[in-house]
Amino acid sequence: MLELLSFGPNGWGGQLLTGTAMTVAVAVSAFAFGIVMGSLGASAKLSHSLILNALADVYTTVVRGIPELLVIYLLFFGGNGVVSAIASAFGYDGRVELNAFTIGVVAVGLISGAYSTEVIRGAVRSVPFGQIEAARACGMGRWLILRRVLVPQTMRFALPGLGNVWQLTLKDTALVSVTALAELMRATHLAAGATREPFLFYSAAAVLYLALTTVSTILFDRAEQTANRGVRRA
Amino acid sequence: MHRHPPVSDTASAAVVVEDLHKRFGELEVLKGVSLTAREGDVITLIGSSGSGKSTLLRCINMLEIPDEGRIVIGGEAIGLKKARGGRVTVPADTRQVERIRTKLGMVFQSFNLWTHMTILQNVIEAPIHVLGVPRLEAVERARMLLDKVGILAKADSYPVQLSGGQQQRAAIARALAMQPKVMLFDEPTSALDPELVGEVLRVIRQLADEGNTMILVTHEMGFAREVASKVVFLHQGRIEEEGAPDKVLTNPDSDRVRQFLSRHLSGAA
Repeated sequence: MLELLSFGPNGWGGQLLTGTAMTVAVAVSAFAFGIVMGSLGASAKLSHSLILNALADVYTTVVRGIPELLVIYLLFFGGNGVVSAIASAFGYDGRVELNAFTIGVVAVGLISGAYSTEVIRGAVRSVPFGQIEAARACGMGRWLILRRVLVPQTMRFALPGLGNVWQLTLKDTALVSVTALAELMRATHLAAGATREPFLFYSAAAVLYLALTTVSTILFDRAEQTANRGVRRA
Repeated sequence: MHRHPPVSDTASAAVVVEDLHKRFGELEVLKGVSLTAREGDVITLIGSSGSGKSTLLRCINMLEIPDEGRIVIGGEAIGLKKARGGRVTVPADTRQVERIRTKLGMVFQSFNLWTHMTILQNVIEAPIHVLGVPRLEAVERARMLLDKVGILAKADSYPVQLSGGQQQRAAIARALAMQPKVMLFDEPTSALDPELVGEVLRVIRQLADEGNTMILVTHEMGFAREVASKVVFLHQGRIEEEGAPDKVLTNPDSDRVRQFLSRHLSGAA
């Protein structure tokens, strides 16, 4: 029976491995997109502009308030229309097709970004104001302060929360299988159907997901240690 | 460093503050304060908490933006303008403010060393990234300054590994690394354990002896008398009395100053 999991001509090992690679690709891209959205969202929430505050509130409330699967469906069925409309507004007439990978990354990234927004906002507020004031007093401009003081200090407070968001994001990629993108969940589903050994393949998928989350936990712990240099442990 | 010749011409004074007003909401913290620091002056600002002395100091490098009045640093007036329909005052040119801040070294009560950098990195950060000093030169100068304040051995430690007194000396080295024209001290020893106060005051006294222009907010009256060329007593946002330390601190004209001193010298503050 284990032959089914092998890389031989009768085995599905190759497909599972490609699926795992696709899952990692979607998760990493979505998480990165989410960090960008989260940074923008956090800046908007922390800004003094009431309009930006409201926009960011709408974003996090809507995305966190509806099922993740629904976000993916909305983007899958509505995304092409929106992008085509934007493209034609800029004078491009052809039909624009987003591929399943892009839709998956944007959908999961939007979800990830909504959670990152809250994590990053909390982290920025944890940075003692004296750290910023000392930088101002040395004549540092706002971008230099952001790059050299605020971001490194924020990272220290944000990393534990972002580690959580990463795990959620990694698992949310399984939902993208509904768009027929050949990530790990979809590959497992196909193999299970073709071989009529669903338990075997879903167990294999569970092991693969667990391997990914375990490795990433170790990586995040390392990153936290680096970001926390100079901090006394309680 | 060398001792500057005394300069009497007001136009070339290091710091000129004219008729400064600052409000926090309804509360008017500064109600028209004027102050001149010539090169080589060591001015100490004293007064009860809430008298406006820290706010005055923080206005000089624009950490607080005054509502009215004029600040001139080394002959250059800081441009201010009204914004939001005249309700708030903001710097007319943030680049000018950033440039002027490089000439004013600031030492905070709570040190404010960047906790994610080593002591050496703290000291070379602004010279490299703000002034564009080559890295090797910045490091060499930083090591010289850390040696001067007596913590060269801690160059590669993080701030959290240092005592409060060592952190404050590192913060002084960080401010000196910008080669400022004027040093501003905001209650530099107030956050320190009593046995660590002396080591920080020793460094500040050395800077005074070298002829650096300094403005200090302090509660250390004995120290103020020793190092200051002028003592300024603030009371409720106004200058109550100013003059030579021997005069203001031993035989003041104002009863308020007299009361303040009797409370502070008896240690019941």
